[in-house]
Amino acid sequence: MGAFIDARNVPSGTVLQTDLVIIGGGPAGISMAMALANTPLHVVLLESGGMTFDPKTQSLYEGSKVGAPYLTLEATRLRYLGGSSNHWGGWLRPMDQIDFEERTWMPYSGWPFGKKEIDRYFVKAQSLCEGGTLLYDKAVKYAANLGTVLPLGEGGVTTRWFQFSKMRNSMLPTHFGDRYADDLKRIGRLSVYLHANVLRLGLDASGAKIEEIDIATLNGRKFKVKPKAAVLAIGAVETARLLLASNDVMPTGVGNGHDLVGRFFADHPTPRDIATLVLFNGPMAPFYLGNQTVHGAIVRAGFFPSESFRRSRAVMASSVTVDGKADLDDLGKAAVAATAAALGVDASEAKAYTLGGGMEVTPDPDRRFTLDTETDALGMPRLKLHMRLADADFARFRQTLKELGRQLLESRAGLLKLNLRSRQEWYDALDWGNHHMGTTRMHVDPRQGVVDANLKVHGVANLFVAGSSVFPTYGAANPTINLLALALRLADHLKATLR
Amino acid sequence: MKRIKYTRRNLLIAGGGAAALAALGAGARLLLRKRYAPSPYDDLISRLDDRDADAQIGETVLAEVDDFDPQATADDLRARLAKQPLAAALAEDAAQNRLLEAGGWVLPETLGLLCALAAKAAA
Repeated sequence: MGAFIDARNVPSGTVLQTDLVIIGGGPAGISMAMALANTPLHVVLLESGGMTFDPKTQSLYEGSKVGAPYLTLEATRLRYLGGSSNHWGGWLRPMDQIDFEERTWMPYSGWPFGKKEIDRYFVKAQSLCEGGTLLYDKAVKYAANLGTVLPLGEGGVTTRWFQFSKMRNSMLPTHFGDRYADDLKRIGRLSVYLHANVLRLGLDASGAKIEEIDIATLNGRKFKVKPKAAVLAIGAVETARLLLASNDVMPTGVGNGHDLVGRFFADHPTPRDIATLVLFNGPMAPFYLGNQTVHGAIVRAGFFPSESFRRSRAVMASSVTVDGKADLDDLGKAAVAATAAALGVDASEAKAYTLGGGMEVTPDPDRRFTLDTETDALGMPRLKLHMRLADADFARFRQTLKELGRQLLESRAGLLKLNLRSRQEWYDALDWGNHHMGTTRMHVDPRQGVVDANLKVHGVANLFVAGSSVFPTYGAANPTINLLALALRLADHLKATLR
Repeated sequence: MKRIKYTRRNLLIAGGGAAALAALGAGARLLLRKRYAPSPYDDLISRLDDRDADAQIGETVLAEVDDFDPQATADDLRARLAKQPLAAALAEDAAQNRLLEAGGWVLPETLGLLCALAAKAAA
């Protein structure tokens, strides 16, 4: 029988021996621990928090930021078992094939493998997220009785579908800590340590292998784990912090021989009220406006640029959702009336909606984390975020929205107003997905990536990274199910290599 | 209460009064109708429904277009609309990605330019 152990009660000086240590009890760490359940491997899972939110633990996340607007670092994630699944929205969608490809117009693009490499893991990942029947774009078939898909005709933007993690009593998607605590306790060779904060990844003298891991608790206990292998599953921000701060053997930190750790940080900007969509002929189908349950899945439709449009127009991934009804000013009413009349369409039942979006950003090595001079309650250096946003990324997203407007006109279904143009207008409308990515990007070449195609840190024989920090490019899909697919693939790799 | 007698005389008086009121109403409409100064683009602008609203849209189009040449634009639009009805011209614009923005509204180019001429005519 496995156990949850309160690390605050572990005597200082204790040294734990294990086959594998998983650092981080969020969706990736929990899923990996469960995937390794029926193997001979003894696994230790280290979670900084407990079973519930604790302000003192959460404050370990605090850091500083400069540059473009972004969230405070402690507000954008959660530090207790289940990690940021404790406040996620449950949105699910696998990335597209094009997201894995090298694209000439997108610097630093190209994953070491295509989507096929992880396709087989989406069934299990969907199950872990309690996402119901794996439908996605097949949902159109089952949602037909609820309404009509917007007739956009030929063009670059199409209706595609999100799915959602199971809602519990109409309020919560799957919180991995609560949901899987009992499953973790049933795993015989797994020990879960709560309130266990990792302060240092200890390399051996050669710098080529993790030898020991230093752990501390907020009540002053200090102990070590000596694993055969270690997996970092602590999110893109803390992964960078721990690698950079573990600089006693390698002065630039672990896995940072080419100064890549912490660079290429990305999140999905999710600006609101980016456009106003008017339909000439009455209301939109309900599956655009909110979640609907069809064929054993919770689904919602949105507008996405097609892969061919992205290739031909060199635009990034994005998604657009209908956020609610909108009011039109005099110019809007005039534009609707004039356009409908000129097209010969009746607009007496026209309805207006406000749109929100999620957009990919261009990989940028200078959008990065560095260690700050400040330290936290455990003596760990805090992070400083150097945030940058490219005007070109907003312009590309605007191009996709304009294509949606063109298609509405061509199909005589409605028209679109683009609400944002200047940098300040985009900044004022900004929200964020809280999707941290890129800080330990994957590449077969150690000069271009921190981890290799097996998610092993280049130059360190037994250290792996699970999570969206390994994404070289980011797509516009919500990362959770995608990072779970990668984590499950890593679990398979470790099963095969740690025997 | 005195009853009105439906005599031939009374009916003639009532009919004449009604006709006079109708004529007065029609005249008032003519008098009150908004008058526009003639412009070189009236043949084009007349294709739109609401000249004031179209001019309002046109002002925002003009704000987006550099070096707007109304005469050349009118010539171009006449050529386009000689070939096909307005609705077909708009559909072709959308298909060919010929679009203009009017205060953010994505419009077919032909409609946007007609509105711009309406704004020029109203200026």
